[in-house]
Amino acid sequence: MFPTEHLLILGAFLFSLGLLVIITKRNTIMVLMGIELMLNASNLNLVAFNLFNPGSVDGQMFVLFVIIVAVSEAAVGLAIVLQVYQYFRTSVTDSINEISE
Amino acid sequence: MPLVSFLLSFVISEKYSWIVSFTAPFLLLLGALCAAFVFFYLPADQHYLREVLWFKVSDHAISGGLFVNNLSGTMLLVVNFISFLVHVYSVGYMAGDSSIRRYFAMLGLFTFAMLVIVLADNLLLLFVGWELVGFSSYMLIGHWKEKPQAATAAKKAFIFNRIGDAGFLVGLMILWALHGSFNINDWSSPHAPTPWQTAASLCIFCGVIGKSAQFPLLSWLPDAMEGPTPVSALIHAATMVAAGVYLVIRIFNLFTPASLDIVAIVGTTTASIGALAALGQNDIKRILAYSTISQLGFMVTALGTGRPDAALLHLFTHAFFKAGLFLAAGSIIQSLHQAQQQAHTHFDVQDIRNLGGLRKKLPMVFLVFIISGSSLAGLPLFSGFLSKDAILTGIVSWAGGSVSWKWFLAAILVGVSFITVMYTFRMIWTIFFGDEKRTDGLSIIESPIVMKAPIIVLALCSLWIIISWNPFMHTRWTSPGLEHHWGVTTFSIIWVVAAFGVAYILRDKSFQARILQKGFYLDQYYQAITTNIGLKMTQLTAWIDRDCIDGLIHATAYAQVLIAHVTGWIDRALVDGTVNGLVSFVRGVGTVTRSFQDGKIQLYIFWSVFTIIIFLIWAML
Repeated sequence: MFPTEHLLILGAFLFSLGLLVIITKRNTIMVLMGIELMLNASNLNLVAFNLFNPGSVDGQMFVLFVIIVAVSEAAVGLAIVLQVYQYFRTSVTDSINEISE
Repeated sequence: MPLVSFLLSFVISEKYSWIVSFTAPFLLLLGALCAAFVFFYLPADQHYLREVLWFKVSDHAISGGLFVNNLSGTMLLVVNFISFLVHVYSVGYMAGDSSIRRYFAMLGLFTFAMLVIVLADNLLLLFVGWELVGFSSYMLIGHWKEKPQAATAAKKAFIFNRIGDAGFLVGLMILWALHGSFNINDWSSPHAPTPWQTAASLCIFCGVIGKSAQFPLLSWLPDAMEGPTPVSALIHAATMVAAGVYLVIRIFNLFTPASLDIVAIVGTTTASIGALAALGQNDIKRILAYSTISQLGFMVTALGTGRPDAALLHLFTHAFFKAGLFLAAGSIIQSLHQAQQQAHTHFDVQDIRNLGGLRKKLPMVFLVFIISGSSLAGLPLFSGFLSKDAILTGIVSWAGGSVSWKWFLAAILVGVSFITVMYTFRMIWTIFFGDEKRTDGLSIIESPIVMKAPIIVLALCSLWIIISWNPFMHTRWTSPGLEHHWGVTTFSIIWVVAAFGVAYILRDKSFQARILQKGFYLDQYYQAITTNIGLKMTQLTAWIDRDCIDGLIHATAYAQVLIAHVTGWIDRALVDGTVNGLVSFVRGVGTVTRSFQDGKIQLYIFWSVFTIIIFLIWAML
């Protein structure tokens, strides 16, 4: 078995990677993918912490829920991105700006 | 009635101004009839008094009232009657004048004001009438306001009267302080001669000096002859100038012996100056004006010698014969003007040197001049003789048996009456006898009947019967205290006849001394005095203005500018600075905060993560 620390480091790495993707990528779809990465990093953490409690499967169940929610969220997010693209004729976040001076 | 005439003359429009020339004399006739009724039905030694509360100052009630006794009844009759005659005469004289409405309005106002003076029972009401009279006189002298001399003369008369009125007002104040009353009837008995009483009576006499053209303030009257001739007759011969004399008669009890002496001296001076100046004049109206001054001097002297009754008698007779002379002179002037216009020549018709031999062409005026002039000269059988006799008798008994300065005054007055004969004779002789000079060849027609009738009436009133049946006795009019003095009467008859002879001998001599012509240079003295004082005053005020007031103003101006600079600096640096600082601070804050939320979602996220990390680091430490 892997030690728990490896799993947590991987989770933190994925989370940071997702955050980096969210902040730096210009395309909205890439931002959504960054969010998926961060969700998966948290799933990894849930599974890892469940190791402290071998008899139960609470963490795995939570991960399943999170995956389902992420799928729905991705569907809703893609729909929003589609609408935004139709409205602004672009999906670059920097250009979608109604309050700039 | 005159007041109604005055108001009516204002109300009637310009278009119907000819109506005024009918209504005004008619109303005055009614007034004269009322006055005659009052005069003849008022029992002797009784009076009629009607008082109404005029106004109240704290607990001093001033009442305005009408007071009629024998004295004011006489004046009432004289004023109304002569005013009526002058109104009638004016209808002819002023015919065709463009501002006839104003003329009759002012005549009405004048008569009303004169009646206020005559009837007032207290000095305050009298003063109101006094001022109104002065004002309407001013308006009437300046009636032909397009003539600059008329305007100047009007101003001069007004100012001279003002000087006297100032004294009158001061006298009123002193009287109020002394007695607490203005009511003339309160002073029915003589007062104890205190210095204040003398001061008060002399101050009031100042008003009389102004109004009756006495010695220092006499030069306005000859100049006032610039007005229409009927006005000269009414105001400057018969009534207004006599108002001063009347005032003194009314309040005679206020005068102390000391002030009466001064009054006598002023009167004598005036009489001699007026008579001498009349001898040197060439303008017919100015001769009459100076003669008026001289006769007023006679009246004032009579007052000063304690004979108010003699003064009143002379006032009464003088009003008639002098008004007659003035109106006759006006008639000559008008006839000659018309003749001049027909013949297209021009010369000064008022200058007696241009006239001569008019007795054939103007027989009626000649007759009037003879009668009224004889009365003025004091020939026996005329009213002027009686009144002058009364005055001279009074002076003789006043001067007493011993020789004193009073005899000096009496001698001067006798001399003045001599000169009176001479200038009257000279005037009539030059106008009516001798050869026609400039009037030769002019077709002169006499005045219309509206002008003739008043003159004839006035001339008839200059005969002796108007006073008393006996042509040498004046006792009916004077008080019992004044004894008739046959010696004086005889002397004055001889004296007058002698003067007549001298005048005849000297008839072609002319008295052209410049000092007489200029009326003793009084005007020049006034000019010099007032100009010098005025110049000094202006220099002084200019200096004060320049050095004191201007300096002060400049200093304050500098101070203002300085303060303005300081406040400007404070405004800019502190107030504006604070505001600007606040603004730029707020703008900085705004810029900073706005930079967090400029719509870039990824930046939001970055900053929130950044903040969380900072927070976490802080929490862990």
